Amino acid sequence: MLVLQAIIEGVLVGGFYALMAAGLTLVFGVMDIVNFAIGALIVLGAYLSYSLTIHFHLDPFVSLIFTTPLMTALGMFIYVFLIKPIKTNKVVMSLLTMFAVATLIEGILDICYNSGFVQIHASYINNSLRIGKLNFPLIYVLSFLLSAFLLSCLYFVTYRTKFGRALRASMQNPVAARLVGIDTDRVSMITLGIGIGLAAIGGMIFGTTNAFNASSSYDIISRLLVIVILGGFGSVGGALVAAIFMLVIQDVVAVVWSPVWGSTAFYMILMVVLLVRPQGLFGKKGVRAQ
Amino acid sequence: MSTDTTISQRPTPPSYEVPKAIRFGALAVGFLVLVLFPLVFNNPTISTIGVFAMIFLMAVTGWNIFSGYTGYIALGHAVFFGIGQYATAMLASYWQIPPGWETFLLIPVSMFLAGLAAIPIGLIVLRVRKHTFIVLTIALMFIFQLFAYNLRGWTGGSQGLEVSQPPWDGSIFNLPYYYVGLFLAIIAIVTSFMIRRSKFGLSLLAIRDDEDRARSLGINTRNSKLTAFVISAIFLGAAGCMYAMFVGSVYPQFSFDPAFDLELSIMAFAGGLGTILGPSLGALIISGAQQYFLITFGGANVFLIVYGALFILILRLLPGGVVPAISDKWRSHVVRKEQRILDSELEGPAEAGAHK
Amino acid sequence: MHISRFGSVASRHKVQLGAALSAVALAVTGLAVPNATAAPKPITIGISVSLSGDFSGDGKATQQGYKIWATWQNAHGGILGRPVVLKFLSDASSPTQVVTNYQKFITSDKVDFVLGPYSTKLTKPASDIANRYHYVMLEGIGGGPSVFSRGLKNVFDVSASATYQLVTYAKWLAATQKPQPIAYATMDDPFIQPMVDFAKAYLDKKGFTEAVYKVYPAETTDFSPIASAVAASGAKIAILGTMPPDGYAMIQNFIQAKYNPEQLILASGPDQGADFTKSVGVTNTEGIMVPNTWIPTSNYPGNKDMVALYIKTYGGDINSINADVPEAFAAGQVLAQAVNKVGSTSNVKLQAYLHSGAKFTSVQGPVQFAADGENSGAAPYVFQWQKGQYVPVLPLGGPDKVSPIETLRPAWGTTPGM
Repeated sequence: MLVLQAIIEGVLVGGFYALMAAGLTLVFGVMDIVNFAIGALIVLGAYLSYSLTIHFHLDPFVSLIFTTPLMTALGMFIYVFLIKPIKTNKVVMSLLTMFAVATLIEGILDICYNSGFVQIHASYINNSLRIGKLNFPLIYVLSFLLSAFLLSCLYFVTYRTKFGRALRASMQNPVAARLVGIDTDRVSMITLGIGIGLAAIGGMIFGTTNAFNASSSYDIISRLLVIVILGGFGSVGGALVAAIFMLVIQDVVAVVWSPVWGSTAFYMILMVVLLVRPQGLFGKKGVRAQ
Repeated sequence: MSTDTTISQRPTPPSYEVPKAIRFGALAVGFLVLVLFPLVFNNPTISTIGVFAMIFLMAVTGWNIFSGYTGYIALGHAVFFGIGQYATAMLASYWQIPPGWETFLLIPVSMFLAGLAAIPIGLIVLRVRKHTFIVLTIALMFIFQLFAYNLRGWTGGSQGLEVSQPPWDGSIFNLPYYYVGLFLAIIAIVTSFMIRRSKFGLSLLAIRDDEDRARSLGINTRNSKLTAFVISAIFLGAAGCMYAMFVGSVYPQFSFDPAFDLELSIMAFAGGLGTILGPSLGALIISGAQQYFLITFGGANVFLIVYGALFILILRLLPGGVVPAISDKWRSHVVRKEQRILDSELEGPAEAGAHK
Repeated sequence: MHISRFGSVASRHKVQLGAALSAVALAVTGLAVPNATAAPKPITIGISVSLSGDFSGDGKATQQGYKIWATWQNAHGGILGRPVVLKFLSDASSPTQVVTNYQKFITSDKVDFVLGPYSTKLTKPASDIANRYHYVMLEGIGGGPSVFSRGLKNVFDVSASATYQLVTYAKWLAATQKPQPIAYATMDDPFIQPMVDFAKAYLDKKGFTEAVYKVYPAETTDFSPIASAVAASGAKIAILGTMPPDGYAMIQNFIQAKYNPEQLILASGPDQGADFTKSVGVTNTEGIMVPNTWIPTSNYPGNKDMVALYIKTYGGDINSINADVPEAFAAGQVLAQAVNKVGSTSNVKLQAYLHSGAKFTSVQGPVQFAADGENSGAAPYVFQWQKGQYVPVLPLGGPDKVSPIETLRPAWGTTPGM
């Protein structure tokens, strides 16, 4: 029935939100900065995939071969030139810098693409997978699979590689990490690159499942922030749980009650959870104020 | 350049602050300019710029009272701007207020309502520490925007609400709004000044510098933050009310607009976050430029790029803002002057001796 | 029916005659200046268009319509024998920006006239500001009830307003189909929602029940919950109040959900020509209907010229012309006719004349203004996509030839003859 379909769709879509949120929460954990620009970057990724599919007739998934490395490089560039130089008041300044970057990207995209709503099309966009009486758009299933695959890769990298150890060390205690010889700057740069590369992928998925334009970034960033807070800053697992939880709730409310209240439920749940547990579901309790 | 006494024999050290005379003079000139502005430039298109400048002035000064003094950058203050707008629109129609002077009576009402709303909101969002706080305020703003879209019966949904415009003649239409706005802006600045110079203000600055230490010194950080939060919300509510009355229509995406907070923070930063007049200066310059841009070229999109780039530049080059930069320049000017005097005193007698 | 043509030709002759006489007079008095090419002062018209933002697609079409009209009007003697010059500013689909734009036109640029922007949402504040400075707001794309309900006397809509747009279809439905459940979904836009609501009110009275009625806010991007609800209702008739992007998205969602209503009518979207067929896929368009105030092939004054000029300037074919183009063109036409009749650039006299019950002609048909500024002479059509062609199907028995209406849509992706 409709609710079951909504739940499953929520899980499918939640998977890809989790992917994007993972980038965000990792970046925060390692560098203590909130990558405010991730919404705009996801939209950038969506537009890049869109242009590639329109002009070169590439399949959207194929376009990722080009967009992902490009945006990963962009992420590292942003780190080196905009984030690293910040010496004082890192949290606030970096947040505002990323806010500014987001605005810049939004403005550029608006000029280049002219703010009409677009959506990425592929020949199989309208196909759906039929299981019993339920229909699932093929594109949702494919994106979920891609997200699941990438999240497992991320897990693998974080917990089974040398870089991952350096990453976790930097998250736990940057000073101590440096004392044992880890180049936290390099770790940060690569992490931001990964985070934004993931945004490229998330962007493609977002672009195929939603009509979007330059201003869609606000909607994305607010949802991702909610997911990351709910899951707890720094916890990828938390992001996964939170993302699926939120999306399922949103879809169910949309179907049962009204689509408009679906999004509102999203934010209200955050408020309720935070009243009870200010550090999120899986976050660590803050020790010092700043 | 000869002096009777050498520097070391001076009774008091030189002051590094901009002298009171100059400061007072600049303020007086500024005040006169603001008062006479719409009378000199009586083209309604120009005075419209002035009205928006006043609205932003009071909004930024209010925002600064909280974010500038406590260091908690609130990026969701558009909530109170929007509350001011919707309260004005809803009450104007519910109380059947005739368009005209009586509508201005809604200003204190909006201020009160915004302040009232700030209490529960503040209690919720101030529980968390800085990062979460920033994000929470943004989430809150989106919640309100969604409510504005969805509670169609009250808020008109996407169609928004209207505030009837007074039937005043086009040539003088803007003037009442400008002067009321100026009056409110001055109140905001004076409030900011009084807070800064008070013990309450000191506690806020202490929170900004090191909250845990402030608590250990006995400051009730929760109450201080909440008070500052509510006061700043009051001025944002006033700004919202003026905006709704002047523009005449209230829509969800403009009342609860993420870009609005970006504008507030860039104005405050540009002028000098945490100073008294800095945000006002930033507001005047940037909102004036923005309005001029919009009027000449239409559409806000190129200006987004300018905003973003400008903000990045400001954050890198002038992280303090204009006002602290001016104080710094003045300080180095005084230091250099003293240095010159000192040099000449050291060389002087020797010179004189050499030329004897 | 050809008043404008005669009027402008006559005034052009008058101007030429007057110029000739003055030249002679000057020569006689010995004050003739060699090379005296006294070009008549142009008539400036300020228009705010949505070149970016939510309305950018339609905004561009609106601008095209106005530009084509200016070219055409200048080829027919301009207004009062003076050339028409248009000034455009973009309002980025923002109601606050549109106010700033018109204020600048009126107080800084001191234009002679203004013409309306795209959409009810923007026309409402625009007419307010025009009213404050005593300017007339003639427009063709702002027909929601909120534009007319405020008692302003300066706003005039040359196109059919929201109340009438879907009623043609509703009347036909009630007359030919058995009462049955209908699925409604609409954006809460001040023009589109009233379109759906007025039709629904009519159909409710005739015994058609509501299978589902969903209203969604303008900023919705994910339409699958709404589409699922409509699909789940199983209604054979669906009336959707959509703007183009959501319309296309909902059709896509219907295809994915394998929901295929027998009759499907959208408030807008299918009238966007090539945009529609590209977004949805030509083979999926069969049977989809949309109301429209303009027939591309009609013989109304200026229409053939407009179509030819549009294709010459912007390319494409007759079916790719966005419905906003004739709406803008018509507004300009009526302005020219009225000003030429009034004989001066006074907005006050213009307003009085427009309210006098005078009749005008336009590419969309006859225009006559009711007391609140609506066009009481308008009769909207309903168009349907049949075999990849966009043809008028309603109203039956009207002055224009219509094709037989298709009452049973085929499965998605199948279009007979394609």
